[in-house]
Amino acid sequence: MATEGQISQPLAARTMLAITGGALIAATLIMFGAVLPAEFHWDPLGLGHMSGLDRLWAPSEVAFDTSKSEVAVAREYRAGLRSDVIEIPLRAGGDSTRGDELEYKVKMKKEATLVYEWSVAGIAKEEEFYFDFHGHTLAAGKAMTVATYKQATGTGANGALTAPFDGVHGWFFQNQSVEPVVVRVKISGFYELIPPGDIGNEAGIVANVPADKAFGEQ
Amino acid sequence: MEKLPTSVGAAAERPNRRWCRFAGSMVSVAVTLGLLTSFAVAHGIGGRDADFVAATKGPDLLPFMYLGAKHMVTGYDHLLFIFGVIFFLYRLGDVLIYVTLFSIGHSITLLAGVLLKIDVNAYLVDAIIGLSVAYKAFDNLGGFKSVFGVQPNNKVAVAGFGLIHGFGLATKLQSLRLNGNGLVANMIGFNIGVEIGQLIALAVFLIIMVQWRRSASFERYAIGANALILMAGFMLIEYQLAGYFGAWRA
Repeated sequence: MATEGQISQPLAARTMLAITGGALIAATLIMFGAVLPAEFHWDPLGLGHMSGLDRLWAPSEVAFDTSKSEVAVAREYRAGLRSDVIEIPLRAGGDSTRGDELEYKVKMKKEATLVYEWSVAGIAKEEEFYFDFHGHTLAAGKAMTVATYKQATGTGANGALTAPFDGVHGWFFQNQSVEPVVVRVKISGFYELIPPGDIGNEAGIVANVPADKAFGEQ
Repeated sequence: MEKLPTSVGAAAERPNRRWCRFAGSMVSVAVTLGLLTSFAVAHGIGGRDADFVAATKGPDLLPFMYLGAKHMVTGYDHLLFIFGVIFFLYRLGDVLIYVTLFSIGHSITLLAGVLLKIDVNAYLVDAIIGLSVAYKAFDNLGGFKSVFGVQPNNKVAVAGFGLIHGFGLATKLQSLRLNGNGLVANMIGFNIGVEIGQLIALAVFLIIMVQWRRSASFERYAIGANALILMAGFMLIEYQLAGYFGAWRA
């Protein structure tokens, strides 16, 4: 005799257990494979990384006011001065694999300073090259503080940066011209290079090698 | 290889019945998918609606009714539970009894929760709401009888889970800095809206179910549909527990 609100013929216990187990396994797989990596940036089984779904996650961003700063004019650092030259090859604009753009940053402590000079050769029109000079904090899981130093088009710039907070600071470059180009970035100061693949150097750029070896020995 | 049944029942089916069977399965699938895509919203009241509530001083019945109805119609957790409850209710009288029990349950805790400022953790409440979804799907297939040998009273269960759903509604409403001025009227407006939204959803479910049940293969598909609802319930539980244990801080 069926209870009201139920299927007329209750399923056998074994079937019921199989369905429940299956539902639980499916739910858990979707959870760990998709939802947790995408929503919480939590990927204990690495499934989100395998599927690439973990890229959906983004920390909330807090804009940092870069208009004013109170940093002592004379400062000393423990770390020694370093200088690096980074050559970054970019494919022609509109590249389907998004090889026409990448981000290169370095790690800096608060109030650390670097000077830079970057330029890109072989671009006829200045407005066909876009850059976003910015920095952000690294605190995992927390809201990310983002400071935007300059967003513009142009084929080069010289200047200096004093980091407003601990984090990674650098450039997003985007080639919008029809030719592949090489960006040449020269930096000196008090910073650390970011190992290829880590946050800030996701593209895996190797410093101090010619552009054709910038993505490592291939 | 199994041959597709071409004559059994199917021949007698009018195309629109087939459509309804399809629609019925799709409701389960759609709600499950909706679950996935709208997790980011965590089913709260957000954005401009939240701004509106925070800015409201004094009674403002209609907008709060609208918010209540919207919360219900877009609330996949509440919808899944109602869908599960009416899935195998064949008589309109039974539908009314169960839905009324559910409404009484969630109205009590919605009103009491807001008025007494009862502070319950939203994640835990939502996890139990997920449990209610899984419970009903399990029960729908006769699981309690076959696996545990006992059949819990369904009316008590639906009313009891109604209380939990009401706490869920109360936490959502409380999280919006409700103004004390006009609180009771606005809250009752919200509650009325919840019932209206529930009736709208119920009407859609019933139209689909009535048609779907006429098809010969209904019970076969019904097992799959309830298995899907069961899975969705498990997902809701896991998701809310992940939120409770602070998975985003990992």
